[in-house]
Amino acid sequence: MKLKRLRLEQFRRFRQPFQIDGLTPGLNLFTGPNEAGKSTLVAALRAAFFERYRSSAVDDLRPWGDSAAAPTVELDFELGGHDYRLTKSFLHKKRCELQWNGQQLDGTDAEDRLAELLGFQHAGKGASKAEHWGIPGLLWISQGSAQEIREPVAHATDHLRRALNTSLGEVAASGGDDLLANVEARRNELLTAAGGKPRGDYAAAREQEKALEDELASLDQDIAQYSQKVDRLARLRQEHTREGTEQTWVAFRAQEADARARLEALQGVERELAGTRQQQARGEERLRLLRSHLDAFEREEKELATRRAATAAAQHTLDEAAAALTHWQPRHDEAARRYDSARHALRLARQEDTRRNLVRSRDEQRRQAEAAGAALTQAEAAHAILQALRQQAAAGAIKDSELKTLRELGSQLTENRIRREASATRLGYTLDAGVRLTLDGQGLEGRGERHLFDHSQIDLPGLGRLEITPGGTGLAELQRAADELEDQRSALLQRLGLNSPEEAETRAEARRQLEADLRSAETGFKALAPKGLDALRLEHAQRTTGAAEAETSLAALAPPPEQPPPAVATAEAEEEAARQALAILDSQLATARLAESSARAAFAAATQEQASAQARLDDPARGQRLGAANAELTDARAEQDTLSRRVAALEQQIAEAHPDILRQDVERYRSSAGAAEARHRERATEIYRLEVELEAAGARGLDERRAEIDRDLAQARRRSAELARRAAALDHLLTLLRSHRQALTQRLQAPLQKHLARYLQLLFPRARLDIDENLGPGPLTRPGPQGDETGNLEALSFGAREQMGVITRLAYADLLREAGRPTLLVLDDALVHSDETRLAQMKRVLFDAAGRHQILLFTCHPEKWRDLGVAARTLDSTP
Amino acid sequence: MPVIKLLHTADWQIGKLFGQFDADDASALAEARIATVEGLARLATEEQVDLVLVAGDVFDAQGIAEKTVRRLFNALAGYRGPWVMIPGNHDAGLAESVWTRAARLQAIPANVTVCLSPGPVLLASPPLAILPAPLTQRITYTDLTEGFAATDTPAGLPRIGLAHGSVQGLLADGIDSTNPIAAGRATQARLDYLALGDWHGTRQVDERCWYAGTPETDNFKGNDSGNALLVEIDGPGALPRVTPVATGRYRWHDRTSELLVGSDTDRLVDELAGFGALDVIQLSVTGHTDLAGHRRIQQAIGTTGGRVRSLAADLSALRLAPTDEDIAALQADGYLGEVIDTLRQGQEGNDAAAAGVARDALALLASLLDEQRGSDTR
Repeated sequence: MKLKRLRLEQFRRFRQPFQIDGLTPGLNLFTGPNEAGKSTLVAALRAAFFERYRSSAVDDLRPWGDSAAAPTVELDFELGGHDYRLTKSFLHKKRCELQWNGQQLDGTDAEDRLAELLGFQHAGKGASKAEHWGIPGLLWISQGSAQEIREPVAHATDHLRRALNTSLGEVAASGGDDLLANVEARRNELLTAAGGKPRGDYAAAREQEKALEDELASLDQDIAQYSQKVDRLARLRQEHTREGTEQTWVAFRAQEADARARLEALQGVERELAGTRQQQARGEERLRLLRSHLDAFEREEKELATRRAATAAAQHTLDEAAAALTHWQPRHDEAARRYDSARHALRLARQEDTRRNLVRSRDEQRRQAEAAGAALTQAEAAHAILQALRQQAAAGAIKDSELKTLRELGSQLTENRIRREASATRLGYTLDAGVRLTLDGQGLEGRGERHLFDHSQIDLPGLGRLEITPGGTGLAELQRAADELEDQRSALLQRLGLNSPEEAETRAEARRQLEADLRSAETGFKALAPKGLDALRLEHAQRTTGAAEAETSLAALAPPPEQPPPAVATAEAEEEAARQALAILDSQLATARLAESSARAAFAAATQEQASAQARLDDPARGQRLGAANAELTDARAEQDTLSRRVAALEQQIAEAHPDILRQDVERYRSSAGAAEARHRERATEIYRLEVELEAAGARGLDERRAEIDRDLAQARRRSAELARRAAALDHLLTLLRSHRQALTQRLQAPLQKHLARYLQLLFPRARLDIDENLGPGPLTRPGPQGDETGNLEALSFGAREQMGVITRLAYADLLREAGRPTLLVLDDALVHSDETRLAQMKRVLFDAAGRHQILLFTCHPEKWRDLGVAARTLDSTP
Repeated sequence: MPVIKLLHTADWQIGKLFGQFDADDASALAEARIATVEGLARLATEEQVDLVLVAGDVFDAQGIAEKTVRRLFNALAGYRGPWVMIPGNHDAGLAESVWTRAARLQAIPANVTVCLSPGPVLLASPPLAILPAPLTQRITYTDLTEGFAATDTPAGLPRIGLAHGSVQGLLADGIDSTNPIAAGRATQARLDYLALGDWHGTRQVDERCWYAGTPETDNFKGNDSGNALLVEIDGPGALPRVTPVATGRYRWHDRTSELLVGSDTDRLVDELAGFGALDVIQLSVTGHTDLAGHRRIQQAIGTTGGRVRSLAADLSALRLAPTDEDIAALQADGYLGEVIDTLRQGQEGNDAAAAGVARDALALLASLLDEQRGSDTR
């Protein structure tokens, strides 16, 4: 298809007629700034083909604000060797004409012919949408949508297939995909999509079949049980009749009675045996008694012998004990004597020792009493001196404060005098020898100096008198102070009883001397009587008394023996030794005495017992009793022998009759009869029970119920089988349809792959793009640093996707062209995201494609496309 | 001695449910069996027979619902004369059986004699002796009629045997078949007539021995069932006169039709058109046909099925051979055409199951395409 001329009128931006003429078969480049009308041209192209001329949904085609407009597009194009002219007006003047070779189609016919020629559909109603655009929708790239490829391909797949089938010389399945979807849907109603497992009605039918089979099995079981019970009932009835006739338990009862009678007879024998045995036991007892009597006689004789021996032994023991006593008595007496003597010696020794101690004590006491008396005398003397000194000290005491006051008064007086002398009028004089003057009555001679404190008068003999009055002002005051001080001192001295301050000083010195003496006297007294005089006196008295007491004790002592006794320690040791020896002999003697008296008592007892044993043997009745006992023993033995034989006979009789077996027989026959009867009764009960059970079960109509279930099951099985067949058929059909469709797709893919590879190599050397079953682009495989890399187109950059979009479309165009289908490529501002290198490659691609297809390329970047090898047409619709 | 006239019937199989049919049909067929018994009672009354002999298998099973038991005995009300019955293998006279239950339910009318033990039954009017051989076990391998010969009956009375089982050597059964009856038993046991049950078709064994067959057909064996026998005996020793009377309501047909040429289809369609409301048909179609023929047959089956009592058609062995015109009409172009070719070849394959699937798939595809085309043209 080659577009030759395009004319617009009242179409959006082009209110006035606008025409593009002389379009070339290859590349046509349209440039212009934004809003220059490029997109309007593209829209016009789309509207001319896709929109129904009668459509009222194309308001956007009119120029703005012109409601009366009739947007019109007129196209001249060449297709399949024919020149076509399409004229289409919308809205206000709805019209469509298609003319070629003198033929003309109008209205819808014209539109349908167009759709058939180009491979697209019209919308059933309203504005045309992408899904209707088919092949033109794929090849006409709208602004900014070059990278979108899947959807346009999907919308064009059917057209592509049909178009391509022609080139392959085959027939595509019209509506094949619909059928496939239909079959798949129906199949998936019965089978799961993934596993092919029954589902929906089919699964339900299978379940019902299974449920009925289960129920049938259960019923079969019930019926089998029922049949078994019927059989059992027949058998039981038969047995019951037979048993009812035979009555085996009657025979058992008779056998039981017989056995019981025999057992009772045997019990009589057993009783006799028991009686005989009792007799035998009594005889045994009598024998035992007799034997013990005889034993007693024998024991008495033995007893006498024993007693005799015992008496002899006791005699011997007694003799020995008496000898021992005789041995120990004299020794004991000697020891006692020695002990008394030792005690006497010890007493004397202790007396003399006491005496010595008392003498020594008396002498010591006396000596101490004398010493204490001397010390007391000295201490009393010292004490007297001390008392005198104390009285003396108390008499002339001047207080220190008074002495101090006295001294201060003295020094104030001295100071006063010096000050007065300083203020006084000094009268120096040097008189010639022999001259004498009188001053206030006092004669002056020689050389000297006088201080005049007061109005004075010098008598100058011969000359008159000199009256001098000291000029100092304070002199009088000082004089008064001096007078006061003098008065104070005089008063104090008087109170102290002193005549002058010097005497006070003398007395103070004497007192210090006295105090020193006093301290010395006190020290001396302390040394003599540290605890005072009374302690000394007490000690003295005590010592004197102690001495007197010792003297009294001495006087009370017995007079000393003639011979001096031994030392106390020696006497004590001797006394102790004598005492111990006596203790030992005391003990020996006591032991001997005890042994002797015991032996004597034993001997007496033995003698007594021997006598009584002898007396018993000598009893005349004893012989008679002994004889009687021996005779009785002989009789009893004979009787026991008889009884033993009787017992043996009876025991044998019983053993031969087997009483335990007889008892078992009784029990056995009794329980056999009982069991037989019980069995008979039980059987009757079971028969009754079975009858009732069967009656109840019979009422359930099991077989009829089973027949019903069987019928339902047969129906369910038929249904299930039908569905199974249908499912298998659908599944098979689906598989076949898919595989054939797949095969077809693969045949279609090959040429597309070839065309695609041609462009792809220009853009991405050694890359490969797979084609999917819908003829859409699949994964892209490119050489990478680690071998080939495969990824979806969507993973590429925007620019690369745009480039892939364009070259894919070019490949489709090549394919369509080979199939003899019209191709017209429109690129509205495509490839704006390509870098220079890629754009250069794309220009080579486009230039190459333009050798086979007409391409309309719209751009607002004319500078980028200058080297495309064609002159650009500049659009400017601005009025 | 008056002529004795009796009605011999057997194998009523009351309680049989016919699971191979749809619920409606099955229920109608089961219902028909009771109605046929009513018909027998009417026939007996009309023919003024002296008694009715029922030779076993009155009931199809032991565990029949009480309601059904009562209905059966009620159905006998149309004939007031004596009914003499024996149990068969389906309703054997066990310790507990449908008979003891019926007796307990007091459902058995006074004029019905059920022989649960082998002793002879003497009727006063008409005077005759009946020697029954009731089955008291489900299965037996001994001949229960063995004792007939040794059983004496009053002199001058006709002896009539009543038994249920397989006459040896007659019905191609095995030697050790169950419930055997020796051939020639009637003569050997001095019987004037031996009335047999078990075989569902009416069949003469010898001049004194017959199988009555079931009075209402219950299978497709096509063995002359649906009858009862009118038996007339002039006196002891005389040969009986036996007349089969049709009693059945439904006719059962088992048809196989092989389609080879176009006219075979026409014939089948005509045949189907000939069936009526009382027909029970089992149809199996083999051979091959084109799509148009297939549609016609399906159409005819649909129409007939709506008219007859029951029609079970099996087309699974019928191959579809679409003609080029068929395919063109289906507009099956492109790979759909290939799929159809594959399926056509598939149904010729050796693997029967795979061929069946291919056949089904092809029919399905044709109908889907039909539908699709229909919706397209709409």
